Amino acid sequence: MTLLEVSDLKCQYRLDSHTVQAVDGVSFYLQPGEILGIVGESGSGKTTIALSILRMLGHSASVSGRVSFEGRDLSSLTVPEMNQLRWKEIAIVFQNSLEALNPVMTIGEQVTEPMLRHLPITPSEAKARCVDLFVMVGLDPSWMNVYPHQLSGGMRQRAMLAMALSCDPRLIVLDEVTSALDAFTRKEIRELLYSLQKTRGYSMVLISHDITFVSSLASRLIVLYSGTIVESGPTPEILNDPRHPYTRGLIHATPDIFLYKDLWGIPGDSPAGEKQTGCPFNLRCTQPVDACRETAPFLRPCGNGREIACHRGGIATLLKAEGLRFRYPLPDKKTLQAVDDVDLEIHEGEVLAVVGQTGSGKSTLAHILAGVLVPETGNVLFMNGSVHGGTQGHRFRGIQIVFQDPFSSTSNRFTVCDAVKEPLDINKIGDGEERLRMVKEALDLVRLPSTDQFLGKYCGELSGGQRQRVALARAMIMKPRLLIADEITSALDVSTAANVLRLLKGLQNRRGFAMIYISHDLSLTLKIADRIAVMDAGRIVETGNAHDVMLSPKTGYTRRLVGARIGLCCHDHDHAQEMRADDRKLKP
Amino acid sequence: MNEKTRNTLIIRFVITLLVILAINFFLPRMMPGDPFSTTSSDVQGEDIVTMTEEQRQYFISYYGMDLPLHEQFFRYLANMAHGDFGQSIYYKIPVTSVILIHLPWTILIIFCATALSTAVGIILGLISARNRKKRSDRVMMTGLIAFSEIPSFLLGIILLLIFCVWLKLLPLAGAVTPFAHYAGVVDQALDIAHHAFLPVLTLALAQLTGVYLLTRNTLITVSSKDYIRTAYAKGLGERIVWTRHALRNALLPVVTRTGFMIGLMMGGAVLVETVFSYPGIGLTLRSAVVNRDYALIQGILLVTAVSILLCNLLVDQVYRKLDPRVSD
Repeated sequence: MTLLEVSDLKCQYRLDSHTVQAVDGVSFYLQPGEILGIVGESGSGKTTIALSILRMLGHSASVSGRVSFEGRDLSSLTVPEMNQLRWKEIAIVFQNSLEALNPVMTIGEQVTEPMLRHLPITPSEAKARCVDLFVMVGLDPSWMNVYPHQLSGGMRQRAMLAMALSCDPRLIVLDEVTSALDAFTRKEIRELLYSLQKTRGYSMVLISHDITFVSSLASRLIVLYSGTIVESGPTPEILNDPRHPYTRGLIHATPDIFLYKDLWGIPGDSPAGEKQTGCPFNLRCTQPVDACRETAPFLRPCGNGREIACHRGGIATLLKAEGLRFRYPLPDKKTLQAVDDVDLEIHEGEVLAVVGQTGSGKSTLAHILAGVLVPETGNVLFMNGSVHGGTQGHRFRGIQIVFQDPFSSTSNRFTVCDAVKEPLDINKIGDGEERLRMVKEALDLVRLPSTDQFLGKYCGELSGGQRQRVALARAMIMKPRLLIADEITSALDVSTAANVLRLLKGLQNRRGFAMIYISHDLSLTLKIADRIAVMDAGRIVETGNAHDVMLSPKTGYTRRLVGARIGLCCHDHDHAQEMRADDRKLKP
Repeated sequence: MNEKTRNTLIIRFVITLLVILAINFFLPRMMPGDPFSTTSSDVQGEDIVTMTEEQRQYFISYYGMDLPLHEQFFRYLANMAHGDFGQSIYYKIPVTSVILIHLPWTILIIFCATALSTAVGIILGLISARNRKKRSDRVMMTGLIAFSEIPSFLLGIILLLIFCVWLKLLPLAGAVTPFAHYAGVVDQALDIAHHAFLPVLTLALAQLTGVYLLTRNTLITVSSKDYIRTAYAKGLGERIVWTRHALRNALLPVVTRTGFMIGLMMGGAVLVETVFSYPGIGLTLRSAVVNRDYALIQGILLVTAVSILLCNLLVDQVYRKLDPRVSD
C-alpha cells in the first residue's frame, strides 16, 4: 500500500488585494521506505505542499484535492484526530533557522514535548529517550539543557531531526533542511539522513531547491515549477537526461553538477502564483510554440516511469545529422577524409561544443551543418526539413553561421550598416527603414554603438573584436534558432575573446537559441558548453556532458586533449606529468 | 555578570543619581516664592500664618537659606551622604518620617494597579490575537484605544461620581475609615481594599490599553514564527501552542514595559491621589510643592527617582531570567 498519496492538490492564498495560486493540481505518491525529492526554485509551492500534507495552512488558504495517508483521507479527520496524527505519524523538519526552535525553551524540553504529548511515557522516560535520540543524530546529550541560540546551525538541524524522530513517525517531511548550512555540515546531515533511512527505513519527503542534495538521497524526483509538476521520474534519469527545459535549466545552474561552466541561471522570473493561461514556463522557455501560450500542458507519462508536462514532449531535437561523410581531393589524386561517418544531434536551447585539434574536420562539419557544403553521403535535418536545398539560412529563425576570421568574413569596403544589413538585402526582407531599425537592434544586442557615425564606418577601420561583433550582429539579425560559431574567438586576443564569448553565451542564454560552438580550445569550451563532442580525424570519438568529458574522458584522444592544457608552474604539475605518462603508455 | 560590567553599572547608577540630586535641588528653588511667604491654603479653615519680615528673615537663616546657592547644594549633598534628608519645613518633622508614613499607600495602589492592568491586559491581548481579523478583535481594539484617550484624572472624577456620589458604594476619600475600630486583620484589610479600589482601578485603566496592545501585537508577530508552526506540527493543539509557545515569547516586551510603567504610575499617582484624596506620596508631593517645602520635595522626588531606577534594574534581572538569549 502506498504510504502517502496526494492527488490534484490545489492551494490558494487569499491576500487582501488578490489571490495567489501557490499549488495548482499536484499529484504524487510515496511508497513505504522511499525517499521522494521535490525540487523547484523559491516560490514554486514546495513548502505549501509540505504544510498542506499536515493540514497546517492557515485560514487565508483554501485547499482542494485529496491527501491520503495509509489509506485515510486526511481532510475527513477532525482537528483532535489530526492532532493525534501530527508528529506521531507524520513529522516535519522545517528550514533551518534560528527561529525554527522556540528561543525560550531548552532543546531537551522541545524534543521531549511531543513524546509527552503522544506517547504513554513519563517525563523521566522521555528524558532517557531524548538522550538516545541525541546519540542517534550525533549530538552530545549534554546539549539537552541549552537554548537554541547556543547551538550552531548544524547542531540545531540535528536537534530538529531528533525532535522529528522522537515519536518514531511513519513519514518525515524535510523542508529545506540544508539551505542555511555550510558545505561540511550539509554533507554530514546528508550522511545522517542516508544512514537513518538505510538502518531504520524511514519514509521521507525531501523538499529543497538544492538539487544536488535532494538527488543524492531521493530515489525519485519531482520538479516543481510555479505550483505545478513539470517533470518527475527516477533521479538518475532526470539528472543525466532532463527532458523539460526547466529541469535542464535548473541542472545547468547547479555548480556542483557543472564544475567548469560559468553560471548562467534561467532568464526571467517565475510567475509565482499569478494566474495565467498557457504553460507556466512558456515565457522562460527556449522552445515555445503557440499551444504553450494557450493551454497548460498536463503531466503525461513518457516511458521509464517518467512523466513530463510539455506540449512539445520535452526538449525537442532541433538538428539531426546522420552518416555525414566528406572528402577533399588532394593534388596527388588522393583524398582527405575530412568528415567520416558523423552522427550528431542538437536539442533546442543547447550549447554543443565540437572540440578537436586543427585539421580534425570541425570546420568542414560546421559548413555541412550550416548547409554551405553538401556532404557526399548522409543528411542533415533541421526541424524535420533537410538543410540541403532548404532555406534555413535565408529566413528568420533558421540557421546562421559565424566564421573564424572576421577580417575575411566581413568586407573591408562595406560600411558597418551594409555588412549587418546584408542578409536582409539579399533575402529582400523589410523596407529600408525597417532594415535600419533591425540593424540598430542587432548592434545593440552585440553591445556595439548604433550611432549614425558608427553605422557609416567602414569595416576596415574596426578592430578585430569589433569586427567579430559585427559578424555576430549580422547573424543575429536573422534571429537564428541555431547559431554555428566556428572558432570565432581564435583570431582574437585573450581579453577580447573572453568578452566576445561572454557576450555570445549571454545572448544564447537570454534568447534561448541553440548553438554549436566549434573550437580547439577545451578550456574555453568548458566555460560555455552543455555537451561536448570530441572530434579526431573526421570522426566524433566521444560525446557527453561537458563535465563528464573533462573529468572522466573515455577515449585516449580525449585524454590527450585534456592533458594538452599547459599546466601553470603554480599548480597542476603532477597532473600534467601524469598525463604525459599516460601519453607514453598510449603510444604503440 | 562579571566584575567589569558590574562596575560600569554602578558608575552609571551613581552618575544618574547625581544628576537627579542636582535637578531635585535646583528645580524647586527655581519656582517663585519661598516656604515662608505662603498666602493661600487648600485646606478650608486653616489659618494662614502671615509672618513679619523679621520672622521671615529669622527662618530663612535658621534653615540656612541665606547662604549662597552652591554652598547650600554642597551642604545638601553632604547631608544626603549621611542619610539625612532634612527637616520638613511644613510638617516640622524629619522628611524621612513624612515619606515613611505616606509611601506605603502609594506602593500599595501602584503594585495593585500594575498587577491588575498587566494581568487583564495580557488576557485581553491573548483573546484579541487569537481572534485576529475577526469582529471581536476589532471591537476590542477600537474600544480600548478610544478608552485610553480619557485622561486618568478625568476618569477618576467620573468613577468617583458614579460609585461614591450616585451609587454610594465606595468611600469618597482617604485610605482608611477615620477613627474605625477593626474587629480583626481581615476587617482592616477589607477596609483598606474598599478605599484603594477606585484609585487602583483608575491607575490600572490608564495603563491597560498599553499592555493590551503590546501583548496583542507581539503575539501576532510571534504567531507567524517558525517555532509556532513547529508547535502546531507537533499536534499540541491550539491552546498549548498559544500559551506555552506563543505567550511565553510575547511576554518578554510586556515585562520590559511593566518596568517603565511603574515609573509612569509614580507620576500618575500625583493626579489620582489628588482626585481621591488618597494619602499617598503623590498627594504629599502636591502639598509640598504648594508650600514650597524644599526639603520634602527633594526627598519625595529622590525616593521616586530611586525607586524607578530600582524597578528598571529589577526588570533587567527578570528579563535575564526569562530570555536565555540575553544572559550571555
